[in-house]
Amino acid sequence: MARIILHNENISFGTDKPNLNSGFISDRDLLKKRSKKYLDLISALDTKTLTDTKGMDELIKSIQEEFGTAELSNLPLGILSKCFLGHPYEVHTLDLSGSQIIKHYKTTDTMEAEFEKARAVAKHNAYAVVEIYKDKIILIREDGTATKL
Amino acid sequence: MSQQVISYADLSIINSALRSISSDMKGVHSELGTLNFKQDQLESELVKLADYFSDFVEADLKHKSLQLAETRQGNLKQDLQIKFGYYAEVRRMATGILQGVDTGVISEETLRFTTEEVMIKAPGYWLAPALVSLSAWIRNDKVATEKALKEALKRDDYKTTLFFMMVMRRLTRNDASLKWLERYFMHQNPHNLDREFIIILEAVSTGVFPPASKQLMMINVKNWIDQLTQGDNFIDKQKSQWIKFFEALGPLPEGKYPLLEKFSTNWNSLENSLKEARTHDILNTHFKNIISSSSDFSKGIKVQLDEILSLLVTNFDDEELPLQEQVRLNQLIIQMDGDKAVAQSIMDAEKHIFDEKVDFLQLLTNASFNTELSGATKVTQALAVSISQPWILEAYDTFTAQSRNRIPQSIELSIDDYKTSTKDGSEENEILKEQETYYDKVLETELSKISFPYTTIIIGILICFLGFWAFSVHTILGFIGCGIGAVIIWSSISGYNKSKNKILETVEERKLKAKEVLRGCIAETVDYRMEHSTEDSNAEEARDLISSITPEDFSSVSHETARSII
Repeated sequence: MARIILHNENISFGTDKPNLNSGFISDRDLLKKRSKKYLDLISALDTKTLTDTKGMDELIKSIQEEFGTAELSNLPLGILSKCFLGHPYEVHTLDLSGSQIIKHYKTTDTMEAEFEKARAVAKHNAYAVVEIYKDKIILIREDGTATKL
Repeated sequence: MSQQVISYADLSIINSALRSISSDMKGVHSELGTLNFKQDQLESELVKLADYFSDFVEADLKHKSLQLAETRQGNLKQDLQIKFGYYAEVRRMATGILQGVDTGVISEETLRFTTEEVMIKAPGYWLAPALVSLSAWIRNDKVATEKALKEALKRDDYKTTLFFMMVMRRLTRNDASLKWLERYFMHQNPHNLDREFIIILEAVSTGVFPPASKQLMMINVKNWIDQLTQGDNFIDKQKSQWIKFFEALGPLPEGKYPLLEKFSTNWNSLENSLKEARTHDILNTHFKNIISSSSDFSKGIKVQLDEILSLLVTNFDDEELPLQEQVRLNQLIIQMDGDKAVAQSIMDAEKHIFDEKVDFLQLLTNASFNTELSGATKVTQALAVSISQPWILEAYDTFTAQSRNRIPQSIELSIDDYKTSTKDGSEENEILKEQETYYDKVLETELSKISFPYTTIIIGILICFLGFWAFSVHTILGFIGCGIGAVIIWSSISGYNKSKNKILETVEERKLKAKEVLRGCIAETVDYRMEHSTEDSNAEEARDLISSITPEDFSSVSHETARSII
């Protein structure tokens, strides 16, 4: 009896191909190239005033478009990028977790812990945008290529 | 009565006896001295002897194991000769036949006779029927060729395939060679490749095989990559290996920032970060070297083929391996002059290199990391790098991002207990001011430690008063009292002033020195940030270089596909 069970197990071990790519698809999706529209919108946060609700709605809509059908838990907590408002301001965040507020931070301000750890890379010129996730950080270059950290 | 006896006693005899004893003792002492000296000498001789002896024992052991190894090697070789002697003969024959056919000096009968004889003499060996088949093919005997070929394939399909693939190419039967190559690829499992695959890859990529074979290889390689990259773990494994490789390439520290090294509390992370930034330039030249390397075409194709062929044919067959391994071990013992331990360790290392079966991606990575160890040339290295380009780029991006994330945002300084931090040294004035106020505070606290000597002064004043009162008793007493009081007051005040001045001096000195150091640190900070950012910007250059590597040889089949894998 025991032998048969063992034998069966061996067979299933040999054909492990189907579950090879589970869990990885999400990673590949995460690292896909970001669209230019999305990057343009995020980087325009400084120049455009988004006080009116229409602009905000548009922004959120385009972000949802970018991440497609991803589940809520897979969406970034927020987006961090370099602020071009001028001296005291260093970075700004777009909080996607609920409040959906754009906030500009001065060099002396400290951010929430999740955002703070990505501050150094966000300030780096090589990366246009940094997406903050619960368990990871994704850096987006100007050309849209993504790198997981 | 008794006293008298003593006073009259004659002690001269005792005296002289004592004197003689003492002189004797002197002799004994000198004797002892020489004895001691001799004993020391003896001891050192003995130690020398012991050393010689242990050396001798060691040498003797080595010598004996050397002799043993020599005898054993002889015996083992004899064993090999008895059991597999014909194998070696057959192997020699293989290249011999090919070269003989080249020159055309061997008659068909001789070929037929010798190969058939081999068939009888080496039962079970795959190369024998392969040679029979070859000779039958040369004399146009189709039936015999096929029969022998079938037998060879039955005995060892893989090796026969490899053999005929090489032979057909050598005889410039391109179509046949291509067919065999196809069969050879069918034998390969991308998860578990033989080490010699790199040689074939090399041969195909350097153009030893006809151009069509390149196409064939690319299709196969592309399929393998598709197959292997379906699961994430293979790619991730390579990626992490590449990242490690990048990290390992970092240069050694130069000691360019001595003040920061001494006074910065986070110098370790500063140094590591700079090291990582400096790596980019090294990587840039590394990849440039790989891409720009050209192949060595000085060797003729035939010579190269013969080399590969003899390499493949003379690679020992599995059944001989245990014996061959022992021969190798004894050979190593002889080489190492009988040192068994060293020989065994060399053997272990070699075994590790040669036994390994690797998956295709790992093979590519090995070839890109270390060409000599993996048995490839620069051409294969370039090819491997170009095939692996998608995940090299990813790994490089991750490495860069990691190193950028680790750049310390501030430089923490601790100079003479004054702690401060600077970002890039631009806040020099503020920090210097801060340091000044810090030393003002230090001065304050130091001064508050010494209190004004009120009590002694009061005592002095009291004594003075006592002196005044004493005038009424006695004038001199009064003077003395007043004098003592005045001296006490004066000395306590001057002592206080002295220590105050001393504190002022030392604090001032500390301040000056600390200021110098702080200025130096800030200057180094500026330099550090400048060097760091220039080194860091090299990363973009290296990235451009890596992304510009296109699998040129792959362009026809898989230029797009190879890139879209990720």
